[in-house]
Amino acid sequence: MLVVDHIQRSFGSLAAVSDVSFTCGRGDVFGLLGPNGAGKTTTMRMILGIYEPDAGSITWDGRPIGLKIRRTFGYLPEERGLYGKMKVGEQIAYFGRLHGLRDDVARRRTVEWLKRLEIEHLAGRACSELSKGNQQKVQLAGALLHEPPLLVLDEPFSGLDPVNAEMTLECIRMLAARGTAFVLSSHQMWQIEHACREFCIIDCGRVRARGSLAELRRALPTRTVRVSPDSSPVRAVFTAHGATGPTVDAEGELAYELPAGTDFGVLLREVVAAGPVDAFERQEPSLSDIYVHALGNGVARGVRL
Amino acid sequence: MNEIVTVFSAEFMRRLRSRIYVGATLAGAFFIALIIEAPIIFGHLADTSTDGIVLAGPAPLRARAATLLQRRKAFRVTSQLDALPKPVTAAFLDRHGKAAAAIAISEQHRRLHLDVYARDLAAFDEVDFRSLVPLNIELATGIQARALMPALRIDRTVRGIDHKFVDTRSAAFAHAVASGLIFVLYVAIIFTSQSIMASVAEEKTSRIAEILIATISPVNLLTGKVLAAALLAIIQIAVWVATAALLFSSAIGSIFEGSSSGLAAADAAQASRLDLVDPRILIAFTFFFILGYLQYATVFAAAASLVSRVEDLASVSTPVMLPVIGALFAALYALSAPETPLSITLSFVPFVGPFVMFARYAVENVPAWELGLAVAVNTLTVAAAFVGAGKVYQVGMLLYGKPPSFKQIVATLRA
Repeated sequence: MLVVDHIQRSFGSLAAVSDVSFTCGRGDVFGLLGPNGAGKTTTMRMILGIYEPDAGSITWDGRPIGLKIRRTFGYLPEERGLYGKMKVGEQIAYFGRLHGLRDDVARRRTVEWLKRLEIEHLAGRACSELSKGNQQKVQLAGALLHEPPLLVLDEPFSGLDPVNAEMTLECIRMLAARGTAFVLSSHQMWQIEHACREFCIIDCGRVRARGSLAELRRALPTRTVRVSPDSSPVRAVFTAHGATGPTVDAEGELAYELPAGTDFGVLLREVVAAGPVDAFERQEPSLSDIYVHALGNGVARGVRL
Repeated sequence: MNEIVTVFSAEFMRRLRSRIYVGATLAGAFFIALIIEAPIIFGHLADTSTDGIVLAGPAPLRARAATLLQRRKAFRVTSQLDALPKPVTAAFLDRHGKAAAAIAISEQHRRLHLDVYARDLAAFDEVDFRSLVPLNIELATGIQARALMPALRIDRTVRGIDHKFVDTRSAAFAHAVASGLIFVLYVAIIFTSQSIMASVAEEKTSRIAEILIATISPVNLLTGKVLAAALLAIIQIAVWVATAALLFSSAIGSIFEGSSSGLAAADAAQASRLDLVDPRILIAFTFFFILGYLQYATVFAAAASLVSRVEDLASVSTPVMLPVIGALFAALYALSAPETPLSITLSFVPFVGPFVMFARYAVENVPAWELGLAVAVNTLTVAAAFVGAGKVYQVGMLLYGKPPSFKQIVATLRA
């Protein structure tokens, strides 16, 4: 299990990470969310030993992460990098050997992963000749060739089309089912919501919210209800229940924000009694809603696993 | 250790197959061949002899001068004439055995006087005519030149004390070889360190560096890269030296081919004796090349890690280049004055020592303790350079934009 315990890291006068803690067990997929400059990449680099934390500790299975342990990890950095003139197959096998694989094993697994990622026809091509998406697949294969116990993926869906993003998501699910722990960051909320079981939203180097999606939803103080058509009696009902809004979407539906403790059964009955109603929908907050809310006013702060 | 081997083998194969490396190796060999073969090629094109002369003047004087000139084997008299045409032309020289010059000899005020008309002015200096000194004395004093000859030669035996070489010719030869090898040492370190810089900068600009240093220690990464480049450099130098040795042996013979001059032929035979090169000098060269190269390459690699673009390499390479140039001059000084306190001291100075100690070792018997101390100091310097460069490398490889200040680099090294 990965345990990140109150780590801090500064660069000169800039505090990149002030206080970040979380855990990630084998088979877990952990999402690290936050705006640009929040401290996600620095946190990942500390997990991988590229940077030493100024304070706090990071352990894997109870032991500090030294060179020997970190060599078993896999890493896909945000800034993709490959040797432009090296052939795809050689490159992936080289990454495998760097992580301690024997040459023959590295080559065999390279062939397997090239097939799985549907880029076996590119094995003999120079990396500089590939599209951005295919380069990303090559890097992903290089990061997981040695079957790492922990994979750290910084923006793994960036630059991928929906089909390839889904393929990457499938790989993550498959390896997680085999026991690989994942720490990943992404700005693609849909993908990360479907990939991860636990989340940590950080901003300015501090944790703003942390927990499973259900826990984060429970901690959110408001809920959204969409209703149509608009009418004064219906508006009055929502106002009586302390709603804010409404906002009107492209289809002409109205969205009201209500306190999380609202009795939605009572609300539905009162709305139906107040006037004609074609649609009434209580929406569960998405990860995107939680993210925006956490960074907006920090109300989700303090949610713990 | 496995990490170093993995990086070493990948880096070695990657660069061995690169067009730049293959091209540079072949271009270097071609350039060497050109330098060696050019005199022969141009010699054949010019089709002139370098030692043939036309001698003109009063018959008795001319005949005695011809005997003296040819006795020293310095010249080959192609024709003897009573007088030279005016003016003396290249066509005239071509007609007389493609001679290099025409010399009019005369007696003026009881002294010998020569008027030399040469194709190449630099080829006829005063030294070449010393063989005529007995004739000059004879004209001045009346003493027969034949009687003077034994008196002009002083028999001597020179014995060196604690000297590395059996005679002056061997010493001169070793000096020449050492000079050449020091130049090769300089060129190889400059070229190879530059290629290390380019390789590091490529990894940084292609952003692959982050994966590498997340996987293995920066010192191991640096070690693998530097050792691979060292082996490639040694292969490159071996190709160049072998090319030079092969062509040099045959070229010397060709240059003097057809010459009737016994001395020239003897010189050719001596010069082509490459087996005169002491193998210990080549071993010392390889050893000190590796020591020097490792020191410079690590520093060059660390410097390269501080730039964000390949185009910026020149800005960091210039300050690192200065010690290499300084070391070259120090080595050339040590070659001419190997036993001075300055040369001895410089042998123990990091970054300069490998050059200077090799120069001294090549031309004198260096005491074992000095050799041992120089090797120890420079080996420790290599270790320190790897650790220091590894730290700078780890920080530098993730820095983009403005390079760190000198103060920040010092702080990194202290950490």
